[in-house]
Amino acid sequence: MGERTRQALPSVLSVLLSLLVCWMLIAFSRDMDGMATATAAYLQMLWGGVGDWPRFLDGAPATVLTRPLGEAAMKAALLTLTGLSVAVAFKVGLFNIGAQGQMLLGALAAAVVGAHLALPGALHIPAALLAAALAGGAWAGIAGALKLYRGVHEVISTIMLNWVAVRLVDNWLVVGPLRGVAEAGASITGTAEIHPTATLPRLLGDMSRLNLGFVIAALAAVAVWAWLTRTRSGFETRAVGLGDEAARAAGIPVARRAGLAMALAGALAGLAGAVLVLGTEGRYPGTLGAPYGFDGIAIALIGNNHPLGVGAAALFFGVLRAGGTRMQLLDVHKSFPELIQGLALLFVAGRLIWLAALRRRSAPKPATAAPPAPAAQVPHA
Amino acid sequence: MSLDIREGELLAVVGENGAGKSSLMNVLYGLYHPDSGEVSVGGKSVRLKSPRDAIALGIGMVHQHFMLVPTLTVAENVVLGREPTRRGLFDWERAVKEVAATCERFGFVLDPRARVDTLTVGSQQKVEIVKALHRGARVLILDEPTAVLTPQEADELARVMRGLVAQGRTVVLISHKLKEVLGVADRIAVMRRGRLVAEVRPSETSATALAALMVGESQRAVMSNAAATPEEKLASEALLEAVGFPAQGDNARPALRVGEKPPGDVLLEATGLQALGDNGRPALRVGEKPAGDLLLEATGLQALGDNGCPALRGVDLTVREGEIVGIAGVDGNGQRELAEVLTGLRSLTAGSGTLLGRPLKGLTPAEARARGVGHVPEDRLRRAVVKALSVEENIALGRHSGPPFAKGMWIDFAGRRERAQALLAAYDVRPPEPTLPLQALSGGNQQKVVVARELDARPRLLVVVQPTRGLDIGAVTQVHARLREARAQGTGVVLVSLDLEEVLALADRVYVLFEGRVTGQFTRPEYDERELGRRMLGAEQAHG
Repeated sequence: MGERTRQALPSVLSVLLSLLVCWMLIAFSRDMDGMATATAAYLQMLWGGVGDWPRFLDGAPATVLTRPLGEAAMKAALLTLTGLSVAVAFKVGLFNIGAQGQMLLGALAAAVVGAHLALPGALHIPAALLAAALAGGAWAGIAGALKLYRGVHEVISTIMLNWVAVRLVDNWLVVGPLRGVAEAGASITGTAEIHPTATLPRLLGDMSRLNLGFVIAALAAVAVWAWLTRTRSGFETRAVGLGDEAARAAGIPVARRAGLAMALAGALAGLAGAVLVLGTEGRYPGTLGAPYGFDGIAIALIGNNHPLGVGAAALFFGVLRAGGTRMQLLDVHKSFPELIQGLALLFVAGRLIWLAALRRRSAPKPATAAPPAPAAQVPHA
Repeated sequence: MSLDIREGELLAVVGENGAGKSSLMNVLYGLYHPDSGEVSVGGKSVRLKSPRDAIALGIGMVHQHFMLVPTLTVAENVVLGREPTRRGLFDWERAVKEVAATCERFGFVLDPRARVDTLTVGSQQKVEIVKALHRGARVLILDEPTAVLTPQEADELARVMRGLVAQGRTVVLISHKLKEVLGVADRIAVMRRGRLVAEVRPSETSATALAALMVGESQRAVMSNAAATPEEKLASEALLEAVGFPAQGDNARPALRVGEKPPGDVLLEATGLQALGDNGRPALRVGEKPAGDLLLEATGLQALGDNGCPALRGVDLTVREGEIVGIAGVDGNGQRELAEVLTGLRSLTAGSGTLLGRPLKGLTPAEARARGVGHVPEDRLRRAVVKALSVEENIALGRHSGPPFAKGMWIDFAGRRERAQALLAAYDVRPPEPTLPLQALSGGNQQKVVVARELDARPRLLVVVQPTRGLDIGAVTQVHARLREARAQGTGVVLVSLDLEEVLALADRVYVLFEGRVTGQFTRPEYDERELGRRMLGAEQAHG
């Protein structure tokens, strides 16, 4: 069993186990035909996420595939970006609970730049994305600075900043100074609509809502991975996360690495907000309820804090989330995908138990020269 | 492995690191469980499931690292776990009285009311001993008790041990300091790789012979001694018998090292050891060679310790090219802080100095590295390496910004691999596998990686702290040889060690630190261990 497989297996097994547990929960919550309903619900969820292949094969138009896939991809893109945000902070040894707040700030910045700046298409999108990244990064930077200069624990400060962000953005800016002007007497909630030049182009035209945001998220995952594994500064960042005192003794600027990683984490969460606003919402809506920032914590942990693992976990749960709504056709509540995600997170937390179980399975070979498995990366929380 | 411990004797158990001494004693104290074999006390076979059982049988242990609560008083520490109570509340006065009685009975001079963190290390050790005696220990196991003591305190401990034996208690002393063992023990058991290889009487052996036994050569020479013991065994009552269990390390692996050296090598090491024991000097003496350039000149260095109290209170220090400067002292007298100041890890509160041509003040770890300061820190896992990173990544740590470890902003994987493999081979790191996580290596091999990395950077000044703590003799010899090699190449070495023998064997000059001040300075030909020991306890003299 390769080292990579061993690192990934606990997550995969956790997800499978949570799928099984949820299936049983659906089955038990029915008076009759529980098992059949649960299986049917899972199938609906699958077709809702990866496309309705049976209907397509029966001759339905290709949109029965592209629509669900597009929905899944967009959810995956958002989960990837917030998951990366949490994972990058983890790598430097910080627990970023504040991706939600950073995402709100990023979304607002994108909405403002998108609506109030007039720029040609080639510049408008980058400008809006940059503004979102800077806003998210600055918001995370507050927590980073509090940590580095005042010793405030980042878990406390990022949680509190989440609430500050909700109050600041949703409860004041969006309903107050930045509220969109009602046109033709129609009252609107949220900020003004963004210019078409700032809208992320759809990749498949009218066939699905899949847009450039998915590409941005995928590129971000690969870029973060390459940065962490291939570059000097990425190496320093990992060293700081795994042994800050040794890193300090080695002459690595620990505070700068931690601060920059935290800012990058915020920038990634901010990008998630931008993708949401520029891609699907078209403005900052009255309230940005979707808790993708909090989901990012689960995605990062299920993805074992590996940038590509985060991408894989985000894709999987993007599919479940997109398909979850279709379970309602069978009277099964659409929150089950979230339950699966929550349970998977719970099981992944027992990573050491999984590893011990896997070791025992591969133990029969006497005196294996296998090195002791590296301990799970537990956040310094 | 079988061992008899007799009533009223002082038995010493000696052996290399990893020979199984501590494992054996942990079995006797109920911390480890034997895979096979049995322990019998007073002729009855017993099962020791936990230290509680051992204490009930009258076996007490004083660990190398004290198990005391620093903020509690002596009396509170001693009675901890079996506190006298009155109406359900802790009866402090009675505890003090009881402990005072125990101290008096065994002739210890200790104030039961004193807080443990105000005591010297030697006194803290006495508290540990009193604690065991207070619980009715008849057999007392002392694990490396003198490792942290000054020569004077060690002498005092020897008196204490003899006194206990005179009162009919049994003392088992685990040690690797052969001279001291020879002076105090009734009987010496030598362990090697989990086996008892010899039992000798001090009168019938010498430090040289014991060292040879420990590393495994010239067994025949001592066989005659070992043969004499069975008859003697009958003479006295076997109070405690541990029969026939293979002593195993805590990882349930025989205490065997990977990659043993061929016998020829080991013989060399044994001879080397003898030379160290006798304080044999290297051919070069500092007086005979021209003094090198001044690398470090510092006056009046002051710095705070981790607890915020002054740890350095005005230290003057010079280091030249091509010399090893030893910093001796009892643990916690500012040596660690001094090393941290020199490597930029701790800031100065006062004092000034020139380190490699530029001021010492405001030095950062990165700046220190850039000037050419190498550092082998004391706390390896915390400071020297990142254990979850691979061996090659650890070799790059600290030098990862330049060739051969990086090209521009990118990591140079090929160059790093090549350099790592070369160093692993040159320093005989086992297994020589650059991609393994560092924590998969043994402590000795981890230390070799650290030494390899620091010396590969060709430092002009190398600060090493406790470089051989926890290493076996083979690794110790290698580390010492590398330090001498660095000196021969012109590197100035600052060696901080709590092991006075190590300092005296390697250093050309020695500074003695006591409570953050230099209380003595010695140059090689005039080493006087007694005088050094007095200085380590704070005695100052006008000259020196």
